Amino acid sequence: MPQGEHIELHRKRYGRQLDHEERTRKKEARSVKKRAAMAQRALGIKGKMFAKERAKEKATMKKTIAMHEERDKKHKADDGQQGSAVPAYLLEREQVERAKVLSNTIKQKRKEKAGKWEVPLPKVRPVAEDEMFKVLRTGKRKKKEWKRMVTKVTFVPPGFTRKPPKYERFIRPTGLRMNKAHVTHPELKATFQLEIIGVKKNPNGQAYTGLGVVTKGTIIEVNVSELGLVTPGGKVVWGKYAQVTNNPENDGCINAVLLV
Amino acid sequence: MVHNFKSMQSVPTAKDFIDIVLSKTQRGTPTVVHNGWAIQRIRQFYMRKVKFTQQNWHDKLTQILDDFPKVDDVHPFYADLMNVLYDKDHYKLALGQLNMCRNLIDRICQDYVRLLKYGDSLYRCKQLKRAALGRMCTLMKRQGPSLAYLEQVRQHMSRLPSIDPNTRTLLVCGYPNVGKSSFMNKVTRADVEVQPYAFTTKSLYVGHTDYKYLRWQVIDTPGILDRPLEERNTIEMQSITALAHLRAAVLYVIDISEQCGFTIKQQATLFHSIKPLFANKPVLIVANKTDVVQLEQLPAEDRALVDEMAAEARKISSGGALLGPNDAETTLVTMSTLTEDGISHVKQVACDRLLSSRVEVKLKGKRVSDVVNRIHVAQPKARDGVSRPPVIPPGVAAARARREAGDKRKTEKELQEEQGGAGVYNSDVRKLYDLKDPAWRYDIMPEIMNGKNILDFVDPDIDARLEALEREEEAAAAAHADAIGDGMDEDELGPEERATLQQIREKKKKIVAEHRRKKAAGNNAAPLPRAVDAERSRTKERMTRELGALGLDASAAAERAARSQSRRGRSLVRKRGRSEAADADMAAEEQPKKRVHSSKSRSMSRGRALSMAAPEQSKGLKDAVQRNKAIKMADKAQWKLGRAAKKGEADRHIPDLKPKHLFSGKRPRGTTDRR
Repeated sequence: MPQGEHIELHRKRYGRQLDHEERTRKKEARSVKKRAAMAQRALGIKGKMFAKERAKEKATMKKTIAMHEERDKKHKADDGQQGSAVPAYLLEREQVERAKVLSNTIKQKRKEKAGKWEVPLPKVRPVAEDEMFKVLRTGKRKKKEWKRMVTKVTFVPPGFTRKPPKYERFIRPTGLRMNKAHVTHPELKATFQLEIIGVKKNPNGQAYTGLGVVTKGTIIEVNVSELGLVTPGGKVVWGKYAQVTNNPENDGCINAVLLV
Repeated sequence: MVHNFKSMQSVPTAKDFIDIVLSKTQRGTPTVVHNGWAIQRIRQFYMRKVKFTQQNWHDKLTQILDDFPKVDDVHPFYADLMNVLYDKDHYKLALGQLNMCRNLIDRICQDYVRLLKYGDSLYRCKQLKRAALGRMCTLMKRQGPSLAYLEQVRQHMSRLPSIDPNTRTLLVCGYPNVGKSSFMNKVTRADVEVQPYAFTTKSLYVGHTDYKYLRWQVIDTPGILDRPLEERNTIEMQSITALAHLRAAVLYVIDISEQCGFTIKQQATLFHSIKPLFANKPVLIVANKTDVVQLEQLPAEDRALVDEMAAEARKISSGGALLGPNDAETTLVTMSTLTEDGISHVKQVACDRLLSSRVEVKLKGKRVSDVVNRIHVAQPKARDGVSRPPVIPPGVAAARARREAGDKRKTEKELQEEQGGAGVYNSDVRKLYDLKDPAWRYDIMPEIMNGKNILDFVDPDIDARLEALEREEEAAAAAHADAIGDGMDEDELGPEERATLQQIREKKKKIVAEHRRKKAAGNNAAPLPRAVDAERSRTKERMTRELGALGLDASAAAERAARSQSRRGRSLVRKRGRSEAADADMAAEEQPKKRVHSSKSRSMSRGRALSMAAPEQSKGLKDAVQRNKAIKMADKAQWKLGRAAKKGEADRHIPDLKPKHLFSGKRPRGTTDRR
């Protein structure tokens, strides 16, 4: 019964095949041709996957070769920043930064007044009503058509009780309700799974905002206590706005970008 | 229970794993979906893919998790060994990760199947399926390191020696290079590497040997150095694990020639430091390399150390109670693996001590009673003073005495081998002949004498036998004659009578042959019944003669009659008839054109045995018009059935119950309601 390092032991005692080196050398040499034959003859999904891998390999190979050739290329020396009247060492930095902060706060206040926000997705595709709602027939003979079922993802606040079924006009199915979003911090480039506090605005209309429908471009408020953000004043920030960047009904999850 | 480590299936890398499962999905589920299908059908298509993928992931992960032994479920020896080799925590973590992955994948599938139920377009369902599969595969991509680790563990585990922790075992331990592996090689068939450098043996090896008709395991361990337990490396820890968990006889090997590089003092120190591991085990101190230095040649203090070790061994080992007066011999033994001197003695001593210790333990145990009762020999109590010894037949007693005296009987096989082997030697059967005088055995017996066969005269009552035989034969012959003959013996006939008998027999044969011929003719032409023509006076010759007398030429009729009696079938008749009719009737009047059978009609090509045969040309129809009509009617009757390829009117077989052209295919709108 083979135990321990029996393969290595055998090799040590009896050595390899007499033509081992030659065989390995020839096999390696042949492998190039085999690969090329496979690349030319593979069909279907196998062929596509192989082609994709090979393309990747070729791209990395090209990059490596280019990197190696960098050595022989000549570069112009960089002298520092151009185009400013005052040289960089004369600029007062603190002033600049503070000014930035002040003007940022002023700008934000102004925007709040105006109701306009700078968002990552300023324009989104409008969603038509018949795409948003599905008509449900009610009544014994299914002749009344005043009920609507929402076909997009919705957010429903916790502790929410719905209207009596006979009178509710908009049905938000439980299967399409979500309360967590994957929020990316644009500067940290890190993604966190945060709870949704509420839907702030849906660009398709106030009706949808009121229903809590979450589509692409919707501004939602998320619970960021996990991130440990603190205001300059020393208060803990626990809610921030984020904008949804995907179609949640197609992906099964809400992906958003934090608005900082 | 030895878990079978060799039958674990290999664990693929993360990338390969994903490829395997996804290509399985691609091959195992339908791939075609169209935008125009009913939404339920589209949903089902995509849900199937998600569920199928989840099922595959689940199955493969379950198989991996089941293959790997659970550290808590195997024998503590294996548990400890695995801990030493693979780090129990890391092992458990890796398996735990895979388990968690499996549960997560199940949950992903559930979530996305729930979402798919709300999918109202093909694009949406497709995106949801893509998201589901993508999430499952991303999960597994992150398990790359765990999978790689588990694959390495599996490979190493499959090469572990299969040690049975419960059977008789001899454990060989000691410093490196003392001669443990050499001893192993000599005692068992294991081919362990033996080299002059330390730590040649880096793991446990197992070999098997036989003693007293029992199988014994011999385990070779890597050498141990004298260090505290915390500082020991993995290789030494394997030895310690084996010592700690296996109930075996311990053979502590010392090198008295100090060729291993360690002094006897060091070896003694090691012995004393690992003493606690030897509790309740029979311990043997084996002094090796006696070809270089004999035990007696050792200096005093070294000898004292060795004796001290032996005394300790005696104290701590469990076989101490059964040691007899020569106990010094059973604790300290010498051997030399190079000259193979004393090895079998060592094995014997070790095995005996282990056996006695195991028997002792078993006797103290609970299950001894069933074994002991099984081998109980009942001795009847003596009821009187009469001695009843066992009866041994005299032949057996004599044979035994002869065997004791060393008188071995030569067997036939030995004779055969002596005389030249299997093909050359013919065994002598004559020596076994049982004759009145044994001297006649090798006599040559002639076969023919005076032109007579000796065997005919061999039997003393051969005459009586011959008579009996002859009588039997006569009786048999008489019985046979009675059976066939009707009292008349053919020999009694006179010559004329014999001739008549011959004639009668011939006539009989002729009639039989005629009858057979008539029957085989297959001629459905109704011959004239006997009532009409008993004497068979209506013959062809007579008709020709009488019609000729009237002035008519009856040759055509005569030929037709002849043909209709023949066996050659109707086609010939038809042809002849057609040409005859053409010739004969053309001369007479304008006959209606002879109707030719349609080629499709088969009735005419069939034999006349069938009921559907059209009437024979010369029978029953008065003229050609009628004949044609008859042919036409026959054709019409055949046409429908012929088209339907039916064997007859009762043939209701349907060759194709569901012809494809009726059950498939698209039709213009509104017409595919019914099929």
